[in-house]
Amino acid sequence: MSQLALVIDLNVCVGCHACVTSCKEWNTSGTAGYMADMNPFSKDPTGTFFNRVQTFEVGDFPNTETVHFPKSCLHCEDPPCVPVCPTGASYKRDQDGIVLVDYDKCIGCKYCSWACPYGVRELDEHQKVMKKCTLCVDRIYDESLPENERKPACVMACPTNARLFGDVNDPDSEAAQAIRERGGYQLMPEWGTRPANHYLPRRKTSITIHDDELIRADNPLNKERQLPMPDADDPTLDETTSW
Amino acid sequence: MKQVLNYRETEGKSTGFWILLGGLGALIGLALGSVLYMEHEGHYVTGMNNQIVWGMPHVFAIFLIVAASGALNVASIGTVFGKSLYKPLGRLSALLAIALLIGGLMILVLDLGHPDRLIVAMTYYNFKSIFAWNIILYNGFIAITAVYLWFMMERKMNKYYPVAGFFAFIWRLILTTGTGSIFGFLVARQAYDAALLAPMFVIMSFAYGLAVFILVLMAGYAWTGRPLGDAVLFRLKNLLGVFIASVFYFVVVYHLTNLYATEHHGVERFILMDGGIYTKLFWIVQILLGTLLPLAMIYHPTIGKSRPAIATAAALVIIGGFAQLYVLLIGGQAYPLVLFPGHEIVSGGFFEGQINEYSPSIWEISLGVGGVALSLIMVTIAVRVLKFLPTSLEDSVVDPHAAKAD
Repeated sequence: MSQLALVIDLNVCVGCHACVTSCKEWNTSGTAGYMADMNPFSKDPTGTFFNRVQTFEVGDFPNTETVHFPKSCLHCEDPPCVPVCPTGASYKRDQDGIVLVDYDKCIGCKYCSWACPYGVRELDEHQKVMKKCTLCVDRIYDESLPENERKPACVMACPTNARLFGDVNDPDSEAAQAIRERGGYQLMPEWGTRPANHYLPRRKTSITIHDDELIRADNPLNKERQLPMPDADDPTLDETTSW
Repeated sequence: MKQVLNYRETEGKSTGFWILLGGLGALIGLALGSVLYMEHEGHYVTGMNNQIVWGMPHVFAIFLIVAASGALNVASIGTVFGKSLYKPLGRLSALLAIALLIGGLMILVLDLGHPDRLIVAMTYYNFKSIFAWNIILYNGFIAITAVYLWFMMERKMNKYYPVAGFFAFIWRLILTTGTGSIFGFLVARQAYDAALLAPMFVIMSFAYGLAVFILVLMAGYAWTGRPLGDAVLFRLKNLLGVFIASVFYFVVVYHLTNLYATEHHGVERFILMDGGIYTKLFWIVQILLGTLLPLAMIYHPTIGKSRPAIATAAALVIIGGFAQLYVLLIGGQAYPLVLFPGHEIVSGGFFEGQINEYSPSIWEISLGVGGVALSLIMVTIAVRVLKFLPTSLEDSVVDPHAAKAD
């Protein structure tokens, strides 16, 4: 069964929030919208976002590191939000594994947001239905768009190409390859929810060099330096006047 | 000679009756106004957010729903367990059960994002959802209890009422199990995910329901000038004491179990030690005022026989019950999801890793109070128009031993 998902490379994510804004821009005017924004310019702004970036610290000062962590619905293969929905408004599509909410059937009881261990479900404060990332389902199948644009808005917007999109169950897809070859992992797999979105870990490229490797044992300069130096008053090319 | 048990409508002509109706009606009106405001302005005017998704209305709603099934106990003790002392109280017990449930459901439904889609909730069932099961359980409870009440009150159907009472008793146990399981089946959050929550809610319902019943009974008889004997009242208050102690036992086991598992240490520390308002509510209101004080009052040899003290103890149980649900519901949500154990989130839009803030808005409190008022106004009107209350609950009327002595 195919399972569309995002693979997010934490190694190159710089926390610029381009995915957040492009997501909001596309979806607020798309079929999943609009996405409420309350008091956007005041002290306590609130609103609906399908995708948010959080920044956290790893390690203790001074050995700390800052990690930017974009998070949206992980489209779990065994999503806990689906069985708890009393009306069946929350569902997982068979054809591509996207977890969606049928806004017309959602009664706004918010029980799914209790059940999601990743905290990605948000009640739209105006429309009062539960909303979440749709993987831009209204984009990725839109044949009026050029083929290379049939990707989620966040993937299109990411300036560092930290976001890959594809079928994680297709071993030949770019997403599955990245997971396989670059240590892709799931968020809290111990819940047993089998999140489809994966993260690529931060990597440090370092090699070990010993001191003696920095000294050339057969340095030809060693011999060159032994050549007799010309006399100080010998003419040189740039000192033609001394001839 | 033993007096005959006689049911009669309340007179309902006094000024007090109309003041009561007017007061409760005003509270319901305010609640409906609050609902309109919240509907019109949007969810953001409430104190609830995407972290604390269930707030004050749910505390009220769940209290009333849990108390509803508990209020039916008095009838069940008479019908199912054959205690004749409780039989005269059966009608009021069933009436109160239905009224409390409807009050609770009103809050729950009006707090939904889309109360207008109630028809969707009634026609599309996802049977894997405990929430969907609860919709069936609530409706079934109202229907079964109504039939039970009808069989009790209709002479022709009287012989069937023990069967109806038995079904109502079984149904109420399942219903509260369902309500507790809304939280028991939640794996995602630290404070829940425990099979213990279902039986704990059942025993909570025993205590809350009986406390409400005692207060309504005492108020009803005092305000209508009907005699209420000590036999009934003392039996009820002793039973309340047993229920308070049982709830306390479950609370202790629940916290001990969590304290044993390292995974839950964080949330236990939050609730029991440094959770601010939740810690205060737990120790001061739930345990001290809502458990230990009423227990002491009820079983005290002299205070336990004073009616104001019994009423106070029942009221304290109700206050403690609200605190218990507040700590369980809101405290459990305030404690953050554990996504990055050991890491500190320095910024971000998800509020993870930090204690979630919640301060209930006046609109939510007003909606909750309106639900309580709806329950009470239903009882007030029902006892006015139908024969729910015995004209006398004197010892000689209800106590078989007193009757024998005559």
